[in-house]
Amino acid sequence: MSVVLAVTAGALVAAGTYLLLQRLLTRIVIGLGLIAHGANLVLLGSGGPPAAPPVIDGSGAPISDPLPQALVLTAIVITFGVTAFLLALAYRSYLLTSSDGVEDDVEDRRIAGFAGGGST
Amino acid sequence: MKVRPSLLVETGARTMVPTLLVVSAFLLVVGHDSPGGGFVGGLLAGGALLVVFLSGGRAAVTSMLPVPAGAILGAGIMTAVATAIGGLVFGRALLDAGKLEIDAGWFGSWSVGSALLFDVGVFLVVVGLVSTVLLQLGDPEEREE
Amino acid sequence: MTGVLIFIVLALVAAAAAVAVTRTRVTLGLVASAPLAAMAIWTAFAAESDVLEGTPLTGSIGWLPTLGVSFDIHVDALSLVFLGLISTIGAAIAVYSAVYLTDLAKARRFLALLALFAAAMTGLVAVDNIYGLFVFWELTTITSYLLIGFEDRKGSARAAALQAVLTTGIGGLALLGGLVLLSQETATTSISQLVANPPTGTVGTVAIALILIGAFTKSAQVPFHSWLPGAMSAPTPASAYLHSATMVKAGIFLLFRLSPGFSTDPIWTPVVVTVGLITMVIGAWRALRQTDLKLLLAYSTVSQLGFITALTGTGSPAMLHAGLAVLVAHALFKSALFLTTGSIDAIAGTRDIRVLSGLGRRRPTLAAVGVLAAASMAGVPPLLGFVTKEAAFSALIDTGQWAALAVVAIASVATVAYSLRYLWGAFATKPPSPEADPKGFDAPVAPMGLVLPPLVLGVAGAVTGLFPGLVNRFVSAFQPGKLPLIPGWKPALAVSAVVVAAGVLVHWHRDRVGRTQDRVGSLTRRLPSGDRAYRGAVALLNRVADRTTGLVQSGSLPVYLSTILVATVSVPAVAWFSSGSSVDLHPLSVSVGEIALAALVITAAVAVTRAPSRMVAVLLLGAVGYAIAGIFVIYAAPDLALTLLLVETITVAIFAFVLTKVPRRFEQERSRFFGRFRAVLALGVGGFVTAASIIASRQRSGPSDSEIYAELAPTAGGSNVVNVILTDFRALDTLGEITVLAVAAIGITVLVRGLRSEPGEGT
Repeated sequence: MSVVLAVTAGALVAAGTYLLLQRLLTRIVIGLGLIAHGANLVLLGSGGPPAAPPVIDGSGAPISDPLPQALVLTAIVITFGVTAFLLALAYRSYLLTSSDGVEDDVEDRRIAGFAGGGST
Repeated sequence: MKVRPSLLVETGARTMVPTLLVVSAFLLVVGHDSPGGGFVGGLLAGGALLVVFLSGGRAAVTSMLPVPAGAILGAGIMTAVATAIGGLVFGRALLDAGKLEIDAGWFGSWSVGSALLFDVGVFLVVVGLVSTVLLQLGDPEEREE
Repeated sequence: MTGVLIFIVLALVAAAAAVAVTRTRVTLGLVASAPLAAMAIWTAFAAESDVLEGTPLTGSIGWLPTLGVSFDIHVDALSLVFLGLISTIGAAIAVYSAVYLTDLAKARRFLALLALFAAAMTGLVAVDNIYGLFVFWELTTITSYLLIGFEDRKGSARAAALQAVLTTGIGGLALLGGLVLLSQETATTSISQLVANPPTGTVGTVAIALILIGAFTKSAQVPFHSWLPGAMSAPTPASAYLHSATMVKAGIFLLFRLSPGFSTDPIWTPVVVTVGLITMVIGAWRALRQTDLKLLLAYSTVSQLGFITALTGTGSPAMLHAGLAVLVAHALFKSALFLTTGSIDAIAGTRDIRVLSGLGRRRPTLAAVGVLAAASMAGVPPLLGFVTKEAAFSALIDTGQWAALAVVAIASVATVAYSLRYLWGAFATKPPSPEADPKGFDAPVAPMGLVLPPLVLGVAGAVTGLFPGLVNRFVSAFQPGKLPLIPGWKPALAVSAVVVAAGVLVHWHRDRVGRTQDRVGSLTRRLPSGDRAYRGAVALLNRVADRTTGLVQSGSLPVYLSTILVATVSVPAVAWFSSGSSVDLHPLSVSVGEIALAALVITAAVAVTRAPSRMVAVLLLGAVGYAIAGIFVIYAAPDLALTLLLVETITVAIFAFVLTKVPRRFEQERSRFFGRFRAVLALGVGGFVTAASIIASRQRSGPSDSEIYAELAPTAGGSNVVNVILTDFRALDTLGEITVLAVAAIGITVLVRGLRSEPGEGT
């Protein structure tokens, strides 16, 4: 894989992770989108250097590896579905709480409180 | 309150949408031999729906879809599954060992017809997904009526 | 022959399912007891083969042949004794339970569990492979858990079941550890070979210690005995089965199985004999104090188990012979006593010694059964209990174990006393004590089903006492020995006579003995007990679990994600650097266009993280997508470029729709707890992805699979290889994918519309 592609993928994942690591759901969705792009580039790069498009035209010229392309195509569409779903989730969360922040899990907090209090 | 889209958008949409739909059908059909296929075709048809939505809102999309979005999804899945099962029955009868070596070679038939039918299923699912998204997540004003 | 046994075990499992459709309690009892009766017949037939001459029945079912694990069946005389007890007592108890449990639904569930338990127990005594043994061992633990906790609405029953399953479960783990050590040391997984070539040295001793822990927990030996009295919350037929013939005898079975080979180990004899004798004394001591008939029997069981355990300690044939004989006698009289207690409970509505009075006059048959069984327990001739105890005394005298004999004799005095206490408490007419609240016995005459099974078991104890050869035929095939009815004028007979007389005396002075016990009890209350140790351990475990959960489960999504990401990055990174490999960083062909588009992508991606509002962020995300579509074009992927362009367009539009509904600008982050750490971690993850993809892509050793796809695409009728892969070669994956899309669409509809219908729109 070309170093350029690898660096680009790394930068996308880094930016995506940065957005993922906080509490606003819309930012998290955007971060996931960036990470998905990065993953797609890694997949594409695994097919080796570019050649002709993977359409057999009888010329016998070497073609790009079609398998990663098929995988990436699948991944793009799945990402689309997931993004739409997450947006619906964010929308609903906003309607319920008037905020699109991700709150701490109340149950978990309660369990943590047990341990702090030292009682069972 | 509803803002009517500009005349330019409406007229543009009226000419663009049929063109987009024709191109999407073309991409679907030729997908097996040249760039295109169910995913691309479906997304382009979805793009056409987006244009319709931007120019005419929910109502325009609803009236353009012959059946509810859920039915499109279901039809797509059913088509793909039917192709798969048909190919299984048909393929088993006609398979020879050489083709069996390929992963999932038992699956689907080797004729163009069945692959295209499968792609039609994919196309329908993608269209169904995009129209669901548009109808559910689009247009806040109508929702709050 | 073994095939039939397997069939019977399967029939037991089938019966467990079949009882669910029985309509009446008669069919229920028949269905549940039929496989057990068949097993009893099988045992009788097996006894006619060469098993008793020392040729075990064997068979094998492959399970994990590559790991050397198989269900090897090995039925010898010892197995036959246990199979006989499991089947005959099991059949009697199955019939009894169908009558005893008046609620049909409960009776069905109970008998299903009982059948499964019997199946597990059968496997346990018939299997020769250590892993098979462990599996059946654990199955008995689980099924006994369900039986003990049968009254699942009672907190006390659930707690007792939990204590039983925790105690025996921990013992099971110790057992597994010991068995694995043994098989590693001796390179065999066959129990019979292990016994033939017992391990030596330290590893062997450690393994034996672990196995003994397993056996002691199962057989309720001190200090693990406290689960057994608690387990009395089970329905009485379950207690009768678990604590006379089966569950608790599993540990004893293991001791019998291993003792002939393993008793040469330095720890075996001292540990087993000491633990057994202590258990015998403590159990007898506590049995004397009980006012609940069932608890009295429970502590008596603990005591008797200790007795039998101690007899397996030396590994001498005479002792093992006597031990197995005692075990058979105990199974018969204890199951009869438990069932009698259940009948008393069903008739009188209580098992409390202080309340019961005058039952013997009204229910003479039941009282006769009780006398028969209790006399056997006390060791009164000519019952089996007497014959076998004589054998034990003789073995102890012949081998000169005077100290052990003294302890056994003292505990036997207590045994006689608590046997009398049982009879007196259950059947005697006595003045009501001040705390008692006597009840009348207005219940209808006990149905035959409540009297007949204990009667059969009690009479069996008498018949086998009169004709001990019936039992000795099996027992002496395990270890040679005699089991005479008339022992002759030997010292053992004198011991028996003294013991019985002393026992009667102790019962006579029961009030004084009781006061002494109370005084001793108040002195020893502060001493550590098994029960308190159990409670303390469980409380400690809960506290540690709370602490751990509180520590690792903070409830914060960013904390979880960072934990995962740090692990994802650091573990492979450490592995890579410690492997000392190097990587060729030589850039492969790179075009100017690729560099330009990559720069655009990186710039836009960084800009997304700094975007002041959501809309700007979304538009920048779209820009990233378009630039990547450009890279796809360079990489000769027209399908991808087309797809991505369309997806990005629609995605941006959807984002725009949703963002019009939520605040336009990003809210300020409330928590700044991450701060710079977030950026560092993000850069680390990004760098990891870059490094990993470069390293991984340099490791290719063979050609891509797609070469075959490209070759075969024309035969599949298409020249766009990507599309042929999607719709043909990997069509199953695509089918899965569009299913996911459909599910996502349904999810979106539910999420949005589910809320909208609330105001009463009705869509």
